[in-house]
Amino acid sequence: MNTSALRDVSVVAALTMFALLLLTIILAATGHDVGDALTALARGSVGSWDALLSGTLVRATPLLIAGLAITLAFRAGVLNIGAEGQLLMGAAAATALGLAWHGPAWLTVGGLLLAGALAGGCWAAVAATLRLRFGVLEVISTLMLNFVAQYLLGWLVRGPMQEPTRIYPQSATLDTVARLPIVIPGSRLHAGFLLGIVLAVALAILLRRTAAGFRIRLVGANPVAAVSAGRVDAAVVAFGAFIASGALAGFAGAVEVSGVTFALYENLSPGYGFSAIAVALLARLNPLGVIGTAVLFGALEAGAVSMQRDAAVPSVVVNVVEAVLILLVVATDRWRAQRLTAQAGT
Amino acid sequence: MLIRRVAVTLLAVLAACGKGEKPAAAGHDAAKSGIRVALLTPGPISDQAWNGGAYAGLMRIKDSLGAQVSHVQTKSPQDFDENFRQYGSQGYDLVFGHGFEFQEAAARVAKDFPKTIYVTTSGHTVAANLAGMDFAFEEGAYLAGMVAASVSKSGILGCIGGTELPPVKASFKAFELGAKSVNPKAQVLTGYIGNWEDVSAGKEQALAYIARGADVLFQNADAAGLGIIQAARERKVFAVGANADQNGVAPETIIGSVVIDLPHALLTVAREVQEKHFTPRVISLGLKDEVVRWTVNPKLANAVPANITKSVDSVRALLRSGSMHLPVGATSDSSR
Repeated sequence: MNTSALRDVSVVAALTMFALLLLTIILAATGHDVGDALTALARGSVGSWDALLSGTLVRATPLLIAGLAITLAFRAGVLNIGAEGQLLMGAAAATALGLAWHGPAWLTVGGLLLAGALAGGCWAAVAATLRLRFGVLEVISTLMLNFVAQYLLGWLVRGPMQEPTRIYPQSATLDTVARLPIVIPGSRLHAGFLLGIVLAVALAILLRRTAAGFRIRLVGANPVAAVSAGRVDAAVVAFGAFIASGALAGFAGAVEVSGVTFALYENLSPGYGFSAIAVALLARLNPLGVIGTAVLFGALEAGAVSMQRDAAVPSVVVNVVEAVLILLVVATDRWRAQRLTAQAGT
Repeated sequence: MLIRRVAVTLLAVLAACGKGEKPAAAGHDAAKSGIRVALLTPGPISDQAWNGGAYAGLMRIKDSLGAQVSHVQTKSPQDFDENFRQYGSQGYDLVFGHGFEFQEAAARVAKDFPKTIYVTTSGHTVAANLAGMDFAFEEGAYLAGMVAASVSKSGILGCIGGTELPPVKASFKAFELGAKSVNPKAQVLTGYIGNWEDVSAGKEQALAYIARGADVLFQNADAAGLGIIQAARERKVFAVGANADQNGVAPETIIGSVVIDLPHALLTVAREVQEKHFTPRVISLGLKDEVVRWTVNPKLANAVPANITKSVDSVRALLRSGSMHLPVGATSDSSR
């Protein structure tokens, strides 16, 4: 396992180098000062403790938790494309609770995160039930539910959850007791990142060391075989994993509200639920690997803003690099699978 | 990418051609001032309106004051705090957050970076290094109302807004006051479309008002306002432009525009910071500062009676000197 993990890491590293090379070419072709831009990229992502803690890791947090949501679902063979919607619903529920009720800080924050997970799970349950009862493809239902969630959020911040002056499309701001504590004083790094690491380790143990995890992997690898073996109800396992995945995504939304934005906004998520798919795939659906890829994407995002700030490079350039990175990973994955099949054939 | 670059270049050129300031003097200032100014916009600067105007302002600050400038387009609220903090830690002198959504993040960050001044557009929180910026759009609307009443034959005017925001409401009230100062019997119909994008809904509302006899329409509805102008053009009644100089949009229809000069507004604030006499407050910019203007469409200037042009000039002077105060200002509204 160790050698294969090492190989995975080196593959990602090699692909990242290639993507950065591509970035250099794009920068040069569009007439930017390559040195300035790359310096800004490095400075804004890993150049200082503040950049690393307040930029990279803060941005990595929602990607990490939503990436785990995707990992769990995909491992069970459930193609949950709806992490974005589940995340938004989680954020909305967490904000609603945080604004309505205050107890002691730990209880308020705990309750708020739980509310987020619950809402995300409920949102996923819609698609999970449709799949279980009517065989509706979850790729389509979850994708559609993303739009529903987005519009629902738009209505919430203009209707029942609008801030008291009723002017701006956003909710009121959460009280300090409803905010996640800052881990390192002076930075913006909140406890959500640590929660994400704990969740990653927990998910890794669940998948690798428990009977439930074995069932999930079995169902994901081959549902027909799982059923024929007679001991696993594939539909129920997939249903459970689907809902747990939604709960994780909802949790990510709650963490973002309680740790970073402190209020509900219509554009709360710049597509975390979608980037999370890339983060999970890049980690080859390994929960511990997701920590690494989430931090990598967090660094790229933080570096992108820094390039825009200090070198006037449009941040979309980095989106191109991310997209290329994903394509490369998918391609090498396919290539490797094909090679394995070929080897098995001979 | 290409479009964006072209737009940026165009804006920069526009900014350089802007009235009043002389880019040629930049060289001298650069040596002695060299303040650093940053701008956060909530959307792309290619919109040629809210964000583009602010970016043009940043470019004008660069050219006129020789400032070192930086711009970030924020994608989501996560970007607010991070960028405010980064600019603060890099020692920028002045950071603009161009929109109401920035004010809470600015308030959170400002206390950690006392040497940086944070200014948010439409913000109302004020601290030692935190200020808001507001536009007295209603002053221009009052003048527009005077002219509208003078060119109306029916004495019925229409006001159509996007949504019922306090500054929009205030501007319609001022428009009505202006109209009644010229024609006490003038009747003003006021309504809101419910959004800022739906062109056909804007047109429907405008046609309804025209059917009720309105023959001058004051609109403040961004993109949806284009539908209102379209309706006015088809039914051959007058319209009034808002926010940007829209006189060129329909030269035979738009009698004049109430303009907010964003580049000039940003430059005014930056100059105060550079000259070190900035005081934290809600900076209200209006006719007096040449940030809000009433611009008559030169092609239709003949339609405006000469005595009205004269009294518009004198009211403008009164508003500028502060000896006349409109009882409708969104900025004077103490509930905010």
